[in-house]
Amino acid sequence: MKIIKNRISRIIILLIGLIFLGNNIQYTQVPQNNLPTGLEIVQNVNKRDDGKFVSRTIIMELIHRSGKKRVRKTKSFRKYFDKDKRTIIYYLSPKNIEGTSFMTYDYHDPKVDDDQWLYLPAARKVRRISASDRGNYFLGTDLTYNEIKNESKVTIDDYTWKTLGEEVVDGHPTYIIEAIPVNEEVMDELGYNKVYMWIDKEIWISRKSEYWDVNGNHLKIIKTKDIKKVQGIWTSHIIEVKNFKSGHKTIFRFSDFDYKTKFSDDLFTKRSLKRGL
Amino acid sequence: MNNQILNSKAGRFYWKVTEYPKILLFIGFLIILSTAIFIPTIVRDTTVDAFIPNEDSVKVYREKVKDIFGLKDPMVIAVINETEKGVFNPKSLKLVYDLTERIKKIEGIDPEKVKSLSTENNIVGTEEGMEINPFFENPLVTQKESDEIRNAVMNFKLFKGSLVSRNGKGTLIVAELLSEYDIRADEVYQELLSLINKMEVGDNKLFVAGEGAVSGFLASYIDSDAQRLNPLAALIITFILLFAFRTLRGIILPNLMVLAAVVTALGTMAAFGVSFYVITNALPILLITIAVADGLHILSEYYEMVVKFPNESQRKIVVRTMLKMYRPVTITSITTISGFIAISISSYMPPMKYFGVFAAIGVMSAMFFALVIIPAGLVLLKPRKSPLIKEQNKSGETQSDFFGQFMSFLGRFVISKPTTVLAIGVGVIIIGIIGITKLEINEDRIKNFQNGEPIVLADHAINENFDGTTYFDIIVETDDYEGLYNPAYLNKIEKLQKYFETLPHVKGSTSIADFIKQMHKAMNADSQEAYHIPDDPDLIAQYFLLYTASADPTDFEEYIDTEYRLANVRIMMNSGLFSDEEYVKKLGEKYILENFNETGLKARMSGRASIDYQTIFQLGKNHFIGVFFSLLAVLLLSMISFRSIVAGLLATVPVSVSILLIYAVMGFLNIYLGLGTSMFAAIAIGVGVDFAVHVIDRFILFVREEKRSLKESFALLYPTTGRALFFNFIAFLLGFGVLITSSVPPLVRFGFLIGVSVSASFLASMTILPALIYFIKPTFLMGRYTYKKVVLSGSVQEELVKISVKK
Repeated sequence: MKIIKNRISRIIILLIGLIFLGNNIQYTQVPQNNLPTGLEIVQNVNKRDDGKFVSRTIIMELIHRSGKKRVRKTKSFRKYFDKDKRTIIYYLSPKNIEGTSFMTYDYHDPKVDDDQWLYLPAARKVRRISASDRGNYFLGTDLTYNEIKNESKVTIDDYTWKTLGEEVVDGHPTYIIEAIPVNEEVMDELGYNKVYMWIDKEIWISRKSEYWDVNGNHLKIIKTKDIKKVQGIWTSHIIEVKNFKSGHKTIFRFSDFDYKTKFSDDLFTKRSLKRGL
Repeated sequence: MNNQILNSKAGRFYWKVTEYPKILLFIGFLIILSTAIFIPTIVRDTTVDAFIPNEDSVKVYREKVKDIFGLKDPMVIAVINETEKGVFNPKSLKLVYDLTERIKKIEGIDPEKVKSLSTENNIVGTEEGMEINPFFENPLVTQKESDEIRNAVMNFKLFKGSLVSRNGKGTLIVAELLSEYDIRADEVYQELLSLINKMEVGDNKLFVAGEGAVSGFLASYIDSDAQRLNPLAALIITFILLFAFRTLRGIILPNLMVLAAVVTALGTMAAFGVSFYVITNALPILLITIAVADGLHILSEYYEMVVKFPNESQRKIVVRTMLKMYRPVTITSITTISGFIAISISSYMPPMKYFGVFAAIGVMSAMFFALVIIPAGLVLLKPRKSPLIKEQNKSGETQSDFFGQFMSFLGRFVISKPTTVLAIGVGVIIIGIIGITKLEINEDRIKNFQNGEPIVLADHAINENFDGTTYFDIIVETDDYEGLYNPAYLNKIEKLQKYFETLPHVKGSTSIADFIKQMHKAMNADSQEAYHIPDDPDLIAQYFLLYTASADPTDFEEYIDTEYRLANVRIMMNSGLFSDEEYVKKLGEKYILENFNETGLKARMSGRASIDYQTIFQLGKNHFIGVFFSLLAVLLLSMISFRSIVAGLLATVPVSVSILLIYAVMGFLNIYLGLGTSMFAAIAIGVGVDFAVHVIDRFILFVREEKRSLKESFALLYPTTGRALFFNFIAFLLGFGVLITSSVPPLVRFGFLIGVSVSASFLASMTILPALIYFIKPTFLMGRYTYKKVVLSGSVQEELVKISVKK
């Protein structure tokens, strides 16, 4: 009897202790003085070399919350023109959209609207289409134009950055940084009121990022996987995006990277858009 | 006396009951307490969908469709401007912009799923390109720009009639809720209301409507209603008890039963996780009135006994009372319970099913309290007379007050003119049958709210200016992956839309075909000739890709599924009347059967309107079956209880007459048999049969057991049981009458109909039933031989009575 009593009282003490401890435990990500600032981290991210030009095959899987999906295969080319950037995407499959192509001129100056053209082979017409807002979704995927445009980098001026702590993601040490839009206008434009990023400490690539919509509802998560060095450049081969609100998911699979073979500036014209690969 | 009491089983039982009153009272309180603790966990469900069982094929299909196409029931905010330019002026458009932005910030609204003129994209073709842009992005526009916006949107078929009114006087902001807020729609609705009240509207008018708004509105409606009605009903009942007895115990003991009945019913309901539906609001009032009736009868008898046996102990008086009352109380309770259970079993709608079950539980608990707890409570008190039931006249019967005298008068009338009474009864039946032919099964959901309520104004405004708030979804299904790229199928969809738009009350329709046509036109420099489905399936596929250049991954979700195999064609109607929906549904199904009946292509109707249709269709189908079974159950139970077929039939007569009369009243007054009104029958049968049971039971007591003549029995019945039944009737009438003050119109109509039916049951039980008994002189009362041998001497006659009763 005495033993039982002792045991019970010990459990009670333990429980009380746990409750008090629980109150003291905070998110492990307490900012520490020896960690780099948020701004320093994202500056490192943006300093990273991602190649002056690249060509690659991208398979996009668009997955409805029911699990049903559409798969599209593309070949894309991207090249820096000083700080501006041009991209062209050719659809290879499915059959009924084969030959459809999409070209953008992204201007570094945020005040200048981007230019976009689309070629529909069935109509045999190149059409200039109006510039999309940065927060618009890109070609039916869960990434926005802004994210496509930045690739693995960030637009530093959009946010105020703060280091929250450190965490290991997929076996890699990362810094957790918080990004808050600098003002309401930017927030509405991007569609986020808060972003968390987990930046790899060694190679300065985001391994995971989470987004909250303008009302603070948990919106989506982007996971960057299978990061390998290709021709000397750190390159992610899988990007998974999941939207929590719609349940929609997109998986990008990248392959056939080529950072070496040069291509001419003429690739980024309406004529080559129409000509196809 | 002791021996007399202990002679019977019931007597011995009540001798025991009165021996342990405190323990029994304690058990009573325990029952109330143990069920009461669940009441705070009650969950409300005010959705219209609740009226259809989850396994109903129409509902199953609707849920499937909602899931495939991500369909939600959004909040709809209408901006209406009656001036010449309509909403296409700088101030109104600024208001639309500001409202859209502020609605996005409301908690529970999905900011990415707020659609309005300032968020939706226009697709326009130019010489060298194509613009996919919101109709306006900058809140500050000039009148010239406003006119351009008007032109643009009026050229966009998908939005004409739905996003903007065809007359240009109105535009909508459609806001979807986050999934986790679906059950808290009322909170979002209240937020929206307070937002639109804060806005500077100028010469615009703002309205909030939509499915979410309706159930949100209903939820708050019902809360305030219940908080007012139930205490009011209890108060009225207390007054009636005061009038009947003018003693403290005469008020407290019946109220204890009321408490027990209501608390156990709602408590078990909560414990089993059954929701509180719109119609559940009538349950407490129903139980209050039923429970108080038993109390009224028992205490009435008790006060008569106190007068009759002034020198006996309280215990003996209580036992005497219960010996006379246990049988009618048991029989009335059992018949009422059987009526409720029959309605529950035969009802199609879950709220009705549960209503029947928990009404039965409440009545059961009232019965237990009446039979056991009330005598236990009474025995703890000293014998005391009611100031209203006193003195004995020469024949040894208690003299009565005004109410008793009034009933005596009625009794004399019946016995002196039984033919007239029966003729009037037959007349009522004939009028009833004529009325039934005028009865209409119909329902208009918006009529469930009072005129002038914001939700009603909003519904009117939208139905008047836009394509309407009621819709069918027609699901077109192809066999193959990407089957909807087939131009032939898209052309069929277009034709389907055209056909439906010719039907009455159908004001517009939208489908994926409209998008394709709009894009084809835009790709061809906005030439009106290109507004058709192109012939090339690849081009259609590429148009879809083109559209996604600036669309959400789920933008098309409500029109087409991910595999492009299923399309949703939405048909908008400006009437929510069942008969209008029925017309469109029947013709629509015929068209679908004729035109979408080939291999590879099928279609099926779904949508809000098909759920409404199914609800009322099933209601019409099951209502009369339910009433029939309920009457049958009452008939069987009273036959068994009285051990006589004739007695059972007689007990069912008054309630049948009352049901007939209600149908007649509904037919003549043009009250639809719909969601709210259909449940009157269950209650009318359940409570109406009690009057007849009490009357028959008394006749059995007087004629068969106390061997009095029929005439003498009549004279005794009316001032005693008749008086108690009169108060019982007034309690029912005023208890349900409280419903007439409800702010939910279906409950008002329901209260009115119950009032009519209870009055009819009471009057029929006090007139037609005794007149019938007087005429038939049924053997279960008189025995087989007594009638012929009245000439024999008293003792022989008595012997014969005994013999015949034994048979």
